[in-house]
Amino acid sequence: MSHETLKTDILILGMGAAGQLAALYAYDANPDLKITIVTKALKGKGGCSRMVQGGLNVVLNDSDSHEKHLMDTLKGGQYVNDQDLARTLVEEATPTIKEMETRFGCFFDRNPDGTIHQKPFAGQSFDRTVHKGDLTGIEMISRTTEQIMKRDIQVLEECRAVDLLTDDSGDEVTGALMLDMKQGRFVVIEAAATLVATGGGPTQYSFHAPGPEKSVDGLAMLYRAGVRLRDMEMIQFHPTGLIIPGSVVAGSLLEEGLRGAGAHLYNGEGKRYMHKYDPAEERATRDVVSRSAFLEMLAGRACVEGGIQIDAAHMGAEFVLKNFPGMAARCRQFGYDLARERVPISPTAHFVMGGADIDKNCHTSLRRLFVAGEDSGGVHGGNRLGGNGICESAVYGRQAGKSLARFFRTNSSTPPETAPGLVDELKKKFTEPFGRSGSTEDVFQLRRQLQECNWKKVGVVRNGQDMESAIGEINFLKEESKKVKVTGGDNYNMVWNTYIDLTNMIDVSDMVVASALARKESRAAHYRSDFPDQNDEIGLFNTYLTLGDNGLPTLHSEPVDFKYKSAEECRNHKK
Amino acid sequence: MAQEQGNTRKVAIYRYDPTVGGDGHYDHYDLHIEDETNTTILDVLLRIQREQDSTLAFRYACRVNMCGSCAVVINGREGLACKTNVSDFAESKDLTIRPLNHFPVVKDLVVDMGPFFEKYEECLPFFEPRDMSEEPAIIRPDSIERRAIGFSTECIACGCCVSSCTMVNYHDGYAGPAPLNRAFTLLLDSRDALYEERLDRVLQSCYNCRTEFNCTEVCPKEISCTRSIKFIQRLAIKEPFRAKAKSKAEAAASAPAHGENVAAEPCAAHASGEAGQCGCDENLDTGRRNFLAKVTVGLGAVSALTVGGVLASTFVGQSLDKKEPVWVPAGKLGDLKEGDVTTVNLRYVENVGFYNQERVKPVMIYRNQEEDKVVVYDSRCTHLGCSVHWDARQKLFLCACHGGAFELDGSVKAGPPPRPLATLEHRVENGNILIAMV
Repeated sequence: MSHETLKTDILILGMGAAGQLAALYAYDANPDLKITIVTKALKGKGGCSRMVQGGLNVVLNDSDSHEKHLMDTLKGGQYVNDQDLARTLVEEATPTIKEMETRFGCFFDRNPDGTIHQKPFAGQSFDRTVHKGDLTGIEMISRTTEQIMKRDIQVLEECRAVDLLTDDSGDEVTGALMLDMKQGRFVVIEAAATLVATGGGPTQYSFHAPGPEKSVDGLAMLYRAGVRLRDMEMIQFHPTGLIIPGSVVAGSLLEEGLRGAGAHLYNGEGKRYMHKYDPAEERATRDVVSRSAFLEMLAGRACVEGGIQIDAAHMGAEFVLKNFPGMAARCRQFGYDLARERVPISPTAHFVMGGADIDKNCHTSLRRLFVAGEDSGGVHGGNRLGGNGICESAVYGRQAGKSLARFFRTNSSTPPETAPGLVDELKKKFTEPFGRSGSTEDVFQLRRQLQECNWKKVGVVRNGQDMESAIGEINFLKEESKKVKVTGGDNYNMVWNTYIDLTNMIDVSDMVVASALARKESRAAHYRSDFPDQNDEIGLFNTYLTLGDNGLPTLHSEPVDFKYKSAEECRNHKK
Repeated sequence: MAQEQGNTRKVAIYRYDPTVGGDGHYDHYDLHIEDETNTTILDVLLRIQREQDSTLAFRYACRVNMCGSCAVVINGREGLACKTNVSDFAESKDLTIRPLNHFPVVKDLVVDMGPFFEKYEECLPFFEPRDMSEEPAIIRPDSIERRAIGFSTECIACGCCVSSCTMVNYHDGYAGPAPLNRAFTLLLDSRDALYEERLDRVLQSCYNCRTEFNCTEVCPKEISCTRSIKFIQRLAIKEPFRAKAKSKAEAAASAPAHGENVAAEPCAAHASGEAGQCGCDENLDTGRRNFLAKVTVGLGAVSALTVGGVLASTFVGQSLDKKEPVWVPAGKLGDLKEGDVTTVNLRYVENVGFYNQERVKPVMIYRNQEEDKVVVYDSRCTHLGCSVHWDARQKLFLCACHGGAFELDGSVKAGPPPRPLATLEHRVENGNILIAMV
């Protein structure tokens, strides 16, 4: 299969908040730069940013402070955050959100006096979540997509990067190999600088909040390119994913605000149980509430649908319908009456805290490569606070954009040569399934097996034995995936796409299980039933990994750098 | 509601293979569904792809009504596959799923949304800050501006509205509902600097809307694009232009480049968020208006020919019964400004069947000094009978309801009116004008 070659100054993979803001800020800093955004979906329609319901945590009020936001973030992350990244997050969030309004035209909800409204979210010492109803992501992404249209920025839609390209040394990124899904052909994009901002989305678990097209592509590509990643054991499970048997909508969220407002959780015996796990009961942080639900389910106290139940009805139907119209509507579509009855829910895989090891200007361990948003790690430590996720994407998108523009002041805009033969090798690898004959594996079936394996063995509650067995199972699935046969034409071939998704999900599964085995304690989102306690004597480290010669992750750990706040200060912070 | 044993549905899905070309065809599948209340049309597509035909192509992303990728036509009606459940259709009904109308098909149910985004961009859908303030604007949620905008900003650009619209295929220049809705939200946004340029771009389009409400009916986010389009027309009427329409070429030459800040001086009311209330006429730049392009005149004429014949005897003017006119005094001829139109409210008593009723009716009197003649126009729009008013700046009679516009000679300039304004008989006695009201 032949391919087309395009050249650009800046290549941005992903068109969520991080990718879009990076493009906008880089362009505004230097409109002469040729910027190309590549998105797997239609313009502005992919990614998790658009799906954000809650909002962004931002310090806007005189009674609040960056100090408080930082301490909340470190406490929420159970102290293993990169403090430089966390500090940049909270400090730059303020100008970022203001510019979202003043430069890009977002309009967030207002107080009666016309100032920006901020609502309470779990784990915060101040009500600082800026939002637009319960559809914040739509406002942010629609407005920034329009801003992209306004500028001379090229967007390649329904085009997915399949792998990053590097030079002969492997130290410099020279662009990426794309698959134009609509046409079914490869495109090589040579770029002087590349930003990976595809978003994570742990869809390698059977129950997941992000849409299925989010398949941890960025993390997998970074890993395969030899980038250093960190904290990959930290996968966030959101406590309240809707159970809809047999539907792809299963796992989508009922927003956290329901518990914030006073909703109760019930197990299959019809009893409230959260008091057994945390004095804050239903208002404890996401990791605690998810784990408690999972333990109830493991103990055989699941409801008939297989999870637990949320009860908002006791707050009164009128209250629920007025304050959570979107959630009530989502339930109603599937025959559940959120305002008047209990609704079955389950923890659902939601966010990857780990990712590329970056500095606050989004540089990575490879030259000419930048990473922003969920593909990067370190900002949130072991657990992300609600409202800090889209905040990270926006803040670090902006950081990346400025950083990319600066890059061209001192660096050549001609990338080095891509390693000879690399493009052909990758093209061959990704088209192999077309040439296979004989009995074939069903890609959908393999994906489901992988999701079930991760859910059961590397999920909310883990232990060494299960994870060891998961390694074997993932390896088996990796081998089986090499037998997948894809039929049909090249263009808009969804099975081919699912195959590429699957290879990415397998690579990320490798990273998660290896990192999780290395942390022999429980911390934040990482809970091991064989080491159920948080142990600050041994646990104050970060796990780093790169792809080893054997095709598996090579790990090492480094102690947490308590650059601004000591572990003691973090521990003592009361929200 | 929940099916005990489930139900087997016959599903017909449109198939098109670009390497084969042609008109495409329908493939038929039988799908057993256990619980139809829990099964969306997207689930149906995913299952058929997984279980029966892996070559089936369709588009989706978020699967929770937030991205607008999975719009299709289901049993003749546009909707998001993820927001439509099988149980929305009677158990005995077969399902027919086809791609959106008015878009080129890429493969099977996947359409090329390029034309949609082109139209969208033409409407200048992006915010351009009016000033370089670093602080978010103080705008009360109950301001007129924000109440009018409402949740219209929540459009997810799925294209359902465009597919449902019967007009987009007839008028090349028609931007369609969603782009106009976006323009509407920005036109009302007091923070935005491109008011005039945007209005200039979109107003012509608005006159292509025939108020069928299809877009409003199918919108998965329950936005009324019809309302947005009509709102733009009202804005234009409230803030008319001083200059005559320019030629198309001139308009194109003066159109702003993307990103260029071409803000005119804002009016005070606009800046304070009182959109729709301000009388910004005085501040408007004169040379920039090109509202009612010739194309709409042509369209008006077409509809006048086709619809006019049907409606002529039903709406305006001639009653079937011969009725003696009432001659109503309308003031002194000498008081009417020469070469201009004066609106006069006539007060008279009309016999309405079983009773007499006092009427107050506005009429519009044009005094042409050169030809020494007077023309009296009925103020009822020939479309649906709304009140027409004279706009001195544009030298047009305008109707606020659906954007109808008439020339000084009463002929249709733009919009839906099927025929010219009706004229009323008059006579002049001793310098007083008398008008025949029927």
